[in-house]
Amino acid sequence: MSAQDAWRIFAEATRSLGNPEIDAWKAQGGKVVGFFCSMVPDELFTAAGILPFRMRGTGSTSTELADAYFTPINCTFPRHAFNQALLGEYDFLDGMVCINSCDHVRRVYDNWIQALDTPFVHVMSLPHKVDDPQVGWYHDDIAVLKEKIEGQFGVEITGDRLDEAIRLHNRIRALQKELYQMRRAERPPITGVQALEVMVAGTALPRERYLELLEEVVEEARTAPGVDGYRARLMIVGGELDDPEYVRIIEEQGGLVVTDSTCFGSRLMWEAIDEEDPDPVRSLARYYIQERPSCPRMCGDQPRRLAYVRDLVNEFRVDGVIAERLMFCDQWLVEHYMTGNDLKADGIPFLALDREYILSGTGQLRTRVQAFLEAIKGTSVTIRAGAQSLA
Amino acid sequence: MVMTAVKQKSVDRYVRERDRFAEMLEMARLVPGDEGELYAKMFEILLDAKETIVDCVENDKPFIAGYFCNAPELFTAMGVPWFMVMESPFLQSSAPYVLSEIDATEHMGLGTDLCTAIRLPIYYIEEGLMPVPTAAVGLLYPCDATPMLQQVIMHNQGWKDVPIFSCDPPYTSDERAITYFAEELKRMVTFLEEHTGHTMDIDRLREVCEESNRTYSLWQDYNELRRNVPSPHGFTPGGSTAFAISQCFTAGDPRCTEWFDLLYKCGEARVKAGQGSIVGNPDWKERIRLFWFDILPFIWAEDFLPWLEQEWGAVVVMDMFGHCPYTLIDTTNEDTIFYGLAKRALIDAPMIRQARGTAENFSNDIRRIVPDYKIDAVIWPGHMGHKDGSAASGIMRRTCRELGVPFLHIGLDLFDPRYTSVDEIKDRVSEFFTGMGLG
Ligand code: SF4
Ligand code: SF4
Repeated sequence: MSAQDAWRIFAEATRSLGNPEIDAWKAQGGKVVGFFCSMVPDELFTAAGILPFRMRGTGSTSTELADAYFTPINCTFPRHAFNQALLGEYDFLDGMVCINSCDHVRRVYDNWIQALDTPFVHVMSLPHKVDDPQVGWYHDDIAVLKEKIEGQFGVEITGDRLDEAIRLHNRIRALQKELYQMRRAERPPITGVQALEVMVAGTALPRERYLELLEEVVEEARTAPGVDGYRARLMIVGGELDDPEYVRIIEEQGGLVVTDSTCFGSRLMWEAIDEEDPDPVRSLARYYIQERPSCPRMCGDQPRRLAYVRDLVNEFRVDGVIAERLMFCDQWLVEHYMTGNDLKADGIPFLALDREYILSGTGQLRTRVQAFLEAIKGTSVTIRAGAQSLA
Repeated sequence: MVMTAVKQKSVDRYVRERDRFAEMLEMARLVPGDEGELYAKMFEILLDAKETIVDCVENDKPFIAGYFCNAPELFTAMGVPWFMVMESPFLQSSAPYVLSEIDATEHMGLGTDLCTAIRLPIYYIEEGLMPVPTAAVGLLYPCDATPMLQQVIMHNQGWKDVPIFSCDPPYTSDERAITYFAEELKRMVTFLEEHTGHTMDIDRLREVCEESNRTYSLWQDYNELRRNVPSPHGFTPGGSTAFAISQCFTAGDPRCTEWFDLLYKCGEARVKAGQGSIVGNPDWKERIRLFWFDILPFIWAEDFLPWLEQEWGAVVVMDMFGHCPYTLIDTTNEDTIFYGLAKRALIDAPMIRQARGTAENFSNDIRRIVPDYKIDAVIWPGHMGHKDGSAASGIMRRTCRELGVPFLHIGLDLFDPRYTSVDEIKDRVSEFFTGMGLG
């Protein structure tokens, strides 16, 4: 298996819901459970021998069926994902775990149990704060999910199996982070499009298999000549972004995305889960509530989130930050409002963009990114002279 | 007491609101009989709440910013004055300046799809137009927007010295959830003791909870009256007002119980006389009994709601804020009290009850209210902020279909009539009534 094969498999896994690796997994009798949101501890499924699949709406072209359940003031991500489920595109799932990550996603659970007969459907209760009592709450909530998985799938998730799954997921995180760190270079080995493909594929493939492929990609990146000819180094901040085509449009205008803080991006892997705690469920709870970079729904943690963004801006020598938001998302709207004010006060160019889940309004996106890159040219200290468009 | 310009600006809006309530109180006092007294008492309560906060600001007394459905009996027991951080959009939604303030929120970069009731307080905080309290407490539900408001408070430079504690309600409603939330409430009390100088006396808390139990019993009795045909009241006192008084202004206060007692008497007198929502017009008849499953549209209270009654004989017999399971708090000891407060906050208190957890409560409430209150039609107004509710509108529609009761989803902004105009809404509602053969 070469790095080239790995890239092909990653691209394939990113551009559709199902993929040949899932088919092979299912053909061998393997189970697949879908889960919404990066706050669901997918290590649990790996420990149970189940393939965790992060829910997306990839490939959707309409929300026609979902519109009998959701309304036009709902975020288009859960609408498209649910529409795909109603169309049967998620029939490969043996279970679905939802979470109260936002007002839109949490209702997928309610509508799913009305409309679909997936054998195992569960909703998790994620706290809104990052303090110790909330770690305690989430510990118990993870334990509830663990028990339910055990009951439904007839497996025992022993401490050893969970430790092993945590180590596997940590190994993946470490390699993904290494790949990201290489992007600090003047000539990053991969583009933002490729980075997103690596990350999305990591939520859609059997994890052992993904690790093998990731090793190839990282190995290749260590000696890659790198990308040059870009006009500015960009960072994307936001929530649900799983579509490399969106990043491609940004990069086609000449900006190279060198890092991010998104739900499919760096926040998934910047920190590792503690492997030493004798209670691995406690490690998971601490990691998800307190240790990993948080998202806006975790109240009281905005200063840490801002510090995370600022650190990445400095570390990756970012010239400008693009804040993407799916329309009707209250959490990212207000978060971007605060982050934008803070970064502008630091003198860091900041562009807030609203979008729909499926790529649309690309003309306007191009125009706004071009204007942003022009504005950066006026303010940035790290302009690359004579740079050409990446396209 | 010397007021700095910043402080003066922070309280100006409050002074203006206070003065508006003073005028309304004078007008209410001119209304004869029990009903006049009911309105007058309500404005006395609102006026007093405003006066208290203005006094705290002007005289440097401790006070807190709080949130509805966050066990307000605790604030009463501690004797700590508080204001509801989102109250202005609700209380002042028909004030002429609100529309320009809504526009200003958009210019700030808050867009148009964030709940207007959240955008406005963010604007007030960011512009220094809200009294800066000694401490602030919040509740991180029922919608995504509320924790974001809390975070803006934490982020704002003018509030940087204000200590903040936010209670975290879990998503589930079982024993574990209630016990966890009871502990959150205890942590909130510890926080308030630390930062306000007010202390909690458990005997006083017991007294306050017993008082609020009396309120809730009366509320239940009153709502029984609304089951009568015709309902003694419509959109006028009973729903949102009952909620505001019991949750935001006088929780566990004898004035609150007195108000509910009077409300009950007014309703009872009407039932005995066979009177409905509109009295004094022998040609008027209640023809459609509505369950308005959301906050009432205050901004149109002088137009749309009376129109419903006069034009269609359509009476809002029950609304989201008027419905409450009225569970009483067991005051045996500290643990039972906190458990009872937690349960009331999570499961009983309107809006948190429906919006906090899974969509079951939407369908369960419809199943219970439609037969109990002999409802002819359910309207889900679809306030633009209620995204979780909108995502449950399919479930509501199906529930109504099962019950054989017509269902209408409108789509509006409770605070901004430019989102969907009053005329448009009237047309939608008229078409709906006509199409369903109602009225
Ligand atoms: S983008 Fe926002 S609204 Fe959409 S699913 Fe994510 S958190 Fe929810
Ligand atoms: S969306 Fe509803 S619950 Fe949330 S702030 Fe607005 S009015 Fe309140």
